[in-house]
Amino acid sequence: MSEAIPISLTVNGRTHRLFVQPWHTLLQVLREQILLTGSKRGCNQGVCGACSVTIDGAVVRGCLTLAVNATDREIVTVEGLAAGNELSPVQQALLDRGAVQCGFCMPGMAVAATALLADNPDPSDDEIRDGLSGNLCRCSGYVKVIEAVRSASAGGAS
Amino acid sequence: MEFHGPSTVEEAVSLLASDEEARCLAGGATLVAMMNADLVMPSALVSLRHIEELRGIFTDSGGGLRVGAMTTHREVAEADGLAGAHALLSDTARAIGHPAIRNMGTVGGSIGHGDPQADYPGALAALDAAVEVRGPDGTRPVAAEDFFVDYLETALLPGELIAAVTLPPPPAGAFGAYEKFARVEGDYATVSVAAVVAMEDGRCSYARVALGSCGPTPVRAEAAEDRLTGSALDDADIAEAAAILREECDPVDDVRGSGEYRMMLVEPLLGRALRAAAAKGGAR
Repeated sequence: MSEAIPISLTVNGRTHRLFVQPWHTLLQVLREQILLTGSKRGCNQGVCGACSVTIDGAVVRGCLTLAVNATDREIVTVEGLAAGNELSPVQQALLDRGAVQCGFCMPGMAVAATALLADNPDPSDDEIRDGLSGNLCRCSGYVKVIEAVRSASAGGAS
Repeated sequence: MEFHGPSTVEEAVSLLASDEEARCLAGGATLVAMMNADLVMPSALVSLRHIEELRGIFTDSGGGLRVGAMTTHREVAEADGLAGAHALLSDTARAIGHPAIRNMGTVGGSIGHGDPQADYPGALAALDAAVEVRGPDGTRPVAAEDFFVDYLETALLPGELIAAVTLPPPPAGAFGAYEKFARVEGDYATVSVAAVVAMEDGRCSYARVALGSCGPTPVRAEAAEDRLTGSALDDADIAEAAAILREECDPVDDVRGSGEYRMMLVEPLLGRALRAAAAKGGAR
């Protein structure tokens, strides 16, 4: 085991000073050291999207990001979406539309949808599908997820 | 395992040259996935993210294009105003993975993996691109066709890294198209075709074609390009060019399709790519 490396990570606006190994993924450090367990470990191969977080506003894979390479950047996890006890518009829409089945994919879906709407506040259905194309739901609940994202978008007050 | 974050290419090269088991870390989309699966465990990681000269897309005064190795797929996909056939690079980047992978993955990281099912290799071959390789002895350009040596094997030598991809000025009047057939959005291609075509008076005056996922490296056949040049790109022309290309193919059987199925995809995808590229030039 090599010597742990001291780093600081800024997660949801808070800076954490930690010791990590070079191969520790951001996902692992979020869950096991910072104890933010909202980001899920599904495939650990970048395929499923359950670990999605944003770094400097761009959605990325927590499982393919090394913690040691994520310093000096703003990381936002699903825990950073709500304001206190008030859910974000995307989270509230996912709840209202009944988009959640087992829920394992939802943190990643919520993060990816939030990043999509930040870039493109009024996406078409095709753009919503593309924006969420990296997030797998094995309960097959995509229709309600897409409806929820549309309703949380600028043009989706319906 | 050691971790380094150099700020110059020279530093990175000297770190790589001092340790053959060290690996460059670009976006992490491939390397970290392989580390997570216990397929590779480098002795050291050399993160390239602080090296400014590896970033960005620049057109030179002669019309050539340079794309830094650390440029992300998203940056390539969103690059506006790439001239003529150079826009094929953006079309190709848009077909890679999904938003998170396009935010993370880089041009250098993708081609450095040497995966013939990836999207860039074929496009680079069709664009007559070169890979700018930096090593302890300086810089050497490697033609894209020579860069991809075998399945997961490139022409990079120990101590070398990919600094950029360079494209010659776009061929006059030519446009590119990328046709990717995949099982689902975001997957690797079952078969892909990158084509660069110029039309004059209804006849093809320039053709470059490269296939992805059809062998251990991108597949090109000069004889197929010669067969297309001067033709009207009608069905018979495309069928004959596809037959020539298939002679060069050696596709694998895997979860994305059998080799036999891949061979069947070559002709229809070639036709779509050629006609899409020709249509971008309008009626001439």
